Amino acid sequence: MPRGRSIVSHLRSLLVLLALVVPSAYAATTEKEPIVVEDPHYGEVLFYFYQEDYFPAIVRLLAAQEQQKLDDHAEDAELLLGGMYLSYGHHLEAAAIFERMLAGNVSSDIRDRTWFFLAKIWYQRGYFEKSKEALNFIEGELPDNLRREALMMQAQILIESGEFDSAISLLQNWEGKTEWASYAKFNIGVALVQSGRIEEAQQVLAELGVLNPFNEELTSLRDKANLALGYALLQDDQPAAAKLPLQRVRLEGPFSNKALLGVGWADAEMDNFQRALVPWMELRSRDLLDSAVLESMLAIPYAMAKLDSISQAADHYLNAIEAFYEESNRLDRTISHIESGEMFDQFLTTDPMGSTGWYWQLAQLPEGPEARYLFHLLAKHEFQEGLKNYRDLDYLHRNLDTWQGSIDVYSNMLETRKEAYEERLPRVEDALGRADLDGMVNHKLDLDSTLNSIDKSHDWLALATPAEFDMWGEITGLEATQALRSDIPEAAEVRDKIQLLKGVLQWELEREFKGRLWSIRRDLGDAGEALVDTQRSRRQIDETMRNEPLKFADLSERVYGLGPRIEGMKMRVDDALADQRTFLQSIAIGELQAQKERLDVYTLQARFALAAIYDISSSTDGEAQ
Amino acid sequence: MAKTIISLIALVTLSFNVAAVAQDSEEADSREEFRSIDRDVQTLKKEVLDLNRDLFLLEEELLFPANSQVAFFVSMDVGEYFELDAVNIKIDGKEVANYLYTAREADALIRGGVQRVHMANLKTGDHELVAIFTGKGPHVRDYRRGATLNFNKGIGAKYVELEITDRVKKQQPEFVIKEWE
Repeated sequence: MPRGRSIVSHLRSLLVLLALVVPSAYAATTEKEPIVVEDPHYGEVLFYFYQEDYFPAIVRLLAAQEQQKLDDHAEDAELLLGGMYLSYGHHLEAAAIFERMLAGNVSSDIRDRTWFFLAKIWYQRGYFEKSKEALNFIEGELPDNLRREALMMQAQILIESGEFDSAISLLQNWEGKTEWASYAKFNIGVALVQSGRIEEAQQVLAELGVLNPFNEELTSLRDKANLALGYALLQDDQPAAAKLPLQRVRLEGPFSNKALLGVGWADAEMDNFQRALVPWMELRSRDLLDSAVLESMLAIPYAMAKLDSISQAADHYLNAIEAFYEESNRLDRTISHIESGEMFDQFLTTDPMGSTGWYWQLAQLPEGPEARYLFHLLAKHEFQEGLKNYRDLDYLHRNLDTWQGSIDVYSNMLETRKEAYEERLPRVEDALGRADLDGMVNHKLDLDSTLNSIDKSHDWLALATPAEFDMWGEITGLEATQALRSDIPEAAEVRDKIQLLKGVLQWELEREFKGRLWSIRRDLGDAGEALVDTQRSRRQIDETMRNEPLKFADLSERVYGLGPRIEGMKMRVDDALADQRTFLQSIAIGELQAQKERLDVYTLQARFALAAIYDISSSTDGEAQ
Repeated sequence: MAKTIISLIALVTLSFNVAAVAQDSEEADSREEFRSIDRDVQTLKKEVLDLNRDLFLLEEELLFPANSQVAFFVSMDVGEYFELDAVNIKIDGKEVANYLYTAREADALIRGGVQRVHMANLKTGDHELVAIFTGKGPHVRDYRRGATLNFNKGIGAKYVELEITDRVKKQQPEFVIKEWE
């Protein structure tokens, strides 16, 4: 199926395929290049692949490989399989394929990019050691955008493993003024804070806190840097200095709650409790899931008490206790909902037939009171990846269910076919027994030989039609009549007429001889071909009769063997589903329990503070009396 | 009283630090647990894929034995002058497939994918295939074109490709049916 498109070399196709599976990794460096399809089976795999239906695409590719139908695309198919395994979230198998291919004769440019790509996938799945190994395999210079990302990944892995100094020295020589430079700076700042070098961290984060962002990502990074700087300064007893970066954080953003809390604390540290109340009151109306909001509910009465508004402070403590209690109840309800397992079924029914694999993301949260907690849970890497696995396992379960139904149908079909064959076999054998094919062949050979001798002896009479032959017999019969031998003019006249007729007939027969000979030879030839066809069909029938029972036996073995395999696999998928559900439940419940514990601690704080207020009030009243 | 509250706040902060340390170790445990389950899921995925391959091959052999199998494929090359909506296939005067394309499927065809639109079991001998393509032609006008192929089914599987190509000179689509052995 040549498509009249450009020729694709093996090496380029690796880039194209990798670009297809992870567009961002190659988009900047690889132009769109079509893949030439030489084989319909390979094209069929691509048909599913381009629709991101990775499961059927992989199955078709594996089947075509098994049947050796991809000879024209052997290497491309292997690469595509690797890419699809990745897209399907099967990174270990994909890596095995890429590693195998990278061991071969591949240019260093492609080798490095592929290692980078594998490192990225492993990093995303939390396999930091493997990711580090893959990055170490990169020998040459990557293109700029990939080089920066690789360096960042390396630094992030070092930070994850607590090697802050190594991360700092790795990022310190960062060149350029791209987005990556800002991320690098932030990571240096974080590493410096974590290694206790607060002063240096302040300098780095301060630079980042005033950057002029040109996209949402950088704005968010600036907020993050300002927040980190503000809190570092608060910890360093510099409340006045802390206010500035904290106030630079956007009011509506993921870090605004913590920034508002921090601004309040900076004012409180400077004994300006009136001002501290402004950001804290703003926090009061926000979601209690954020610990900054919880803390503000205690900070408000604390500031009020400081301002001698004791009764108001007591009211706020009571409100906080009430709000914490209600939130705690909501958490309990959500925990029991998660424990029932219904929540995960809701996840699946929300988006039942969507794509599976690596790039799947939950489009919509299931409705219900727990949705706001789930939103936070989904930000957790393990939860999200676990949810993908859970969904993929559910897909496998449904897939096996469908096959189980089909395999029953196939076993019935096979039995019916076997019965029909066995019923027809005696009739066919009888008919074949009656057909004397060898006799027909011998007869045809006799006819060939007769025709040859007619041809050789130029026996024109042998090819006369029955009417001509009868006429010839009649004429020669008349010729032998005794009366015609008499020497009278009438007899001579009849003899002449007979000779004339005989001559005319012979002349006609001789004239027709070649044509008739050719025509008979042609008919005999056709008969011969028909006989050869019949013999071939006969051989096929014989072969079918020999092979059919073997074929039935093979198919039966496979049909009956695959049934238990499906059953066994289904049980294992069920077990894995249960394990995955338990894991997801434990993350979700753990997270909610932690939130509940925070609420309990805050409730305790509020009760203590309230008791202290009542103590002070009663002692003041006593003194007054 | 203020002293009490400050000490309480300090306690809260301390408790968070402790909680943060505990959380770090919990996170490490949870990551390890995730990786262990993830490895199991990966193994299972591979095994189910292999099982699907075996089932796919069995299904094909059972439903469409090689000696009678004919597969009909649809492909597009470039596709600038034709936007495919549907394909209708008749074999020996009998309608066997009427396929409507989604935008995703049509796009997959344009990018080089080849769709197996129909599989049939046919006797050896001569057959007639008529394919009707419906869609949008040049200048987004409704477009309906047919293509016919008389083919001989021999022994062994046969593949027939319905190919839509662009005739750049005429700025028109072209519909060709090709045989594969």
